Amino acid sequence: MDAINGLAFKNMLLAAARHLDQHRDRVNALNVFPVPDGDTGTNMSLTLNAAIKELEQANGVEIRRFAALLTRGSLMGARGNSGVILSQFFRGFSDGLAHVETEITGEDLAHALATASQTTYRAVMKPVEGTMLTVGRVAAEYATEASAAGAGALEVLQAALEGARAALADTPNILPVLKQAGVVDAGGQGLVYILEGFLTGVTAAPEELEQLLAQANRQPEGAAAPKLEQEVTVNRYCTEFIILGNGIDALAVRRELEGKGDSLLVVSDADVVKVHIHTDHPGEVLEFCGKLGELTEIAIDNMRLQNQEFASHEESHHLDYSVGNNVIEFPNSAVPADPKPLGVVAVVPGEGLAEIFRSLGVDYVVPGGQTMNPSTEDLVKAVSSVNAEQVIILPNNKNVIFSAQQARELAEKPVAVVPTRSVPQGITALMYYVAEDSLEDNLAAMEEAMREVKTGEVTYAVRSTVAGDLHIEERDIIGLAEGKIAVVGSSPTEVARDLLKKMVDENSSVISIYYGADLNAETAQELNELIRAEFPDCEVEVYHGGQPLYYYIVSVE
Amino acid sequence: MGRIHVVTDSGSDLPVELREQLGIHVVPLTVQFGDEIYKDGVDITAGEFYARLKRETRMPSTCQPSPADFVEVYERIAEPGDTIVSIHLSSKMSGTYQSAVLAGSMIDPAITVKAVDSRAASMGIGLCVIAAARSVQAGKTVEQVLEDVQQVIDGLQVYFVVDTLEYLQRNGRIGLASALVGTLLNIKPVLTLVDGQVAPFEKIRGKAKALKRLRDLAEEFRQRHPGKALRAGISHADNQAEAAALVEELPAILGSDHEIVVGEIGPTIGVHTGPGTIAMFLYSI
Repeated sequence: MDAINGLAFKNMLLAAARHLDQHRDRVNALNVFPVPDGDTGTNMSLTLNAAIKELEQANGVEIRRFAALLTRGSLMGARGNSGVILSQFFRGFSDGLAHVETEITGEDLAHALATASQTTYRAVMKPVEGTMLTVGRVAAEYATEASAAGAGALEVLQAALEGARAALADTPNILPVLKQAGVVDAGGQGLVYILEGFLTGVTAAPEELEQLLAQANRQPEGAAAPKLEQEVTVNRYCTEFIILGNGIDALAVRRELEGKGDSLLVVSDADVVKVHIHTDHPGEVLEFCGKLGELTEIAIDNMRLQNQEFASHEESHHLDYSVGNNVIEFPNSAVPADPKPLGVVAVVPGEGLAEIFRSLGVDYVVPGGQTMNPSTEDLVKAVSSVNAEQVIILPNNKNVIFSAQQARELAEKPVAVVPTRSVPQGITALMYYVAEDSLEDNLAAMEEAMREVKTGEVTYAVRSTVAGDLHIEERDIIGLAEGKIAVVGSSPTEVARDLLKKMVDENSSVISIYYGADLNAETAQELNELIRAEFPDCEVEVYHGGQPLYYYIVSVE
Repeated sequence: MGRIHVVTDSGSDLPVELREQLGIHVVPLTVQFGDEIYKDGVDITAGEFYARLKRETRMPSTCQPSPADFVEVYERIAEPGDTIVSIHLSSKMSGTYQSAVLAGSMIDPAITVKAVDSRAASMGIGLCVIAAARSVQAGKTVEQVLEDVQQVIDGLQVYFVVDTLEYLQRNGRIGLASALVGTLLNIKPVLTLVDGQVAPFEKIRGKAKALKRLRDLAEEFRQRHPGKALRAGISHADNQAEAAALVEELPAILGSDHEIVVGEIGPTIGVHTGPGTIAMFLYSI
């Protein structure tokens, strides 16, 4: 085959998407760290699927029109760092084909792959070799060489795949972390699957291709952490309502309700008291407060069910907590018609953490982070739904920073990204957020502040590995300090304590613990007591975070 | 030429010895637990108040002195021809200043009352009152005394840390810091006074860090006023230990020419800040 026509080009891209989707879990498993949020495969697959969405519906055979659809789709759908790089790959690939009308020659294809590679290198500030970048570059080099030797499109594609595979096999030699973990680069592997899919798309027999393309893409599934002793059964109803009446003593209400649940908030205004509590006995709470005045705006949500929804991406856009829990707003304070100068969007895993972020002044919470990186489009939509002239995005995850920066390019209003790499960094940055100050002042203060906090995470190993001198078995509980494995053990409580021992020093004064969806308040309380005894000089605070997969997120400042 | 008398209210948190030594008269506000009414410093001490606060489920409230209360004091201490400099709680937070102004129009016209809105509370008023009393002792004219007081008011910087915003919120004195209410995290805000009312200064996690921030703010204040003599007031609500720790470190921070006055936050202010509060007041001369 000397050239690829419009139909074959379309098949090529669709086949690549299906092929990558089928191997998504294998790519996910290539995470350098054995943590359960390895999601490079998922991110790349979702990005590619978003890229081909419009293409799939498009009729006609004009290649440059397909290419244009591909670019827009991939930029908006980019998820996670690997997804952003992939979207830039496709952007370059499409640019390289912008002049092509009906047929892609070997030369065209080599040129497109070379443009794709160059675009990825330009997109990252500090290109790292031994990654998807290298795999794409070597693929382009092989393709260019084949094209120069007079190869047709099919041969060029074969050469590109050969180059990509060679480069992928070499990635552990370039990046020691890969060698230590015994894996090849996940993003590079994803790119190899894409090139394989390209080849299948143009070489497969029509019925074989039809079969492949007919397979529905899977919906991303949220990984579930192994359940510890018991299910989350305590304080599962998020209960909110307003008591109308003059002279209600908010302090007395608070004292009465303190024993009935957690995350209690009692806020009073002249003649209304707003109550928010997580409880297992919403009836008792309403009964008591009903004696004080008329109850109104009653809302009771089962957070356990919300948690389950949280794991499903399809639901994540309309999760209740991201819109309905503005606990400090009174019903009569109408939304201002005029945009305020400044707003904040934060990416947050877990409904408990989402509430904390909202209570610190975040206007819009995008669910996600560790298991599910939001797409650039999710962030662009979040930005436009905030009624503010300028918007700050807090990614709160190193794998979301890149998509947030891409969202800044695509959003229709000025956006700034404070590159918070963890939930604690996001919270600390918010301490210095002053809605009345200028964007510049806020950015300076928030970026400086976020460095003052140390982040620790407790999760479980998804495979056996060696990290430094730590030998880790699959399912071991591991503790990460600033993203690096520091502690291994068998129980989250013990690992959290040992992790904090490594993180706390003589300058530390506050330890915060956010417990995840797989732990209950009592387990967290045990850790609380343990930590208070261990570090008597520190203030220790425990909050329900509700994040998936991570038993604890801790911070020390 | 008559004498000049200095009057304040129980929101000034001046230590008794200092009051007596400088001849300062204090008009008490009243504190109420339900139907029980106590005159601050007369019927109830700070110690009794905080002990009671711990037991109570009802939130206490305060009431400004009536104009008649002021008239009674003014007429008792002053003779015709005398002048009274009456320095009070910020008019944004209390009607006490208003009562004093009204009282001034109700008494013998031969007695002049100069009511002053300190735009502050606690030792912030205290520092104004001390400055006034010393100027009087130095034999200055009424105009000079008022000028000295105005200098303190204009130069005063206030920073304070509360254990919880609940008291400020409940009693309607939260001012511009209302945005801080509703945060689920245990934040120790550093608050300040802006234009006579409470305003947020910074959000900080943990009391230890917040108190350390007060030291840093004192240091920053000194740097902004190089070569000046500094005056500091520290007041605390049932929190002797943390106040003492701060007071111990201040001399090294404030430099050689300084003075520190320490007072206990009484019921009048304590109702609104709650126990545990530490406040720092600074000005330069």
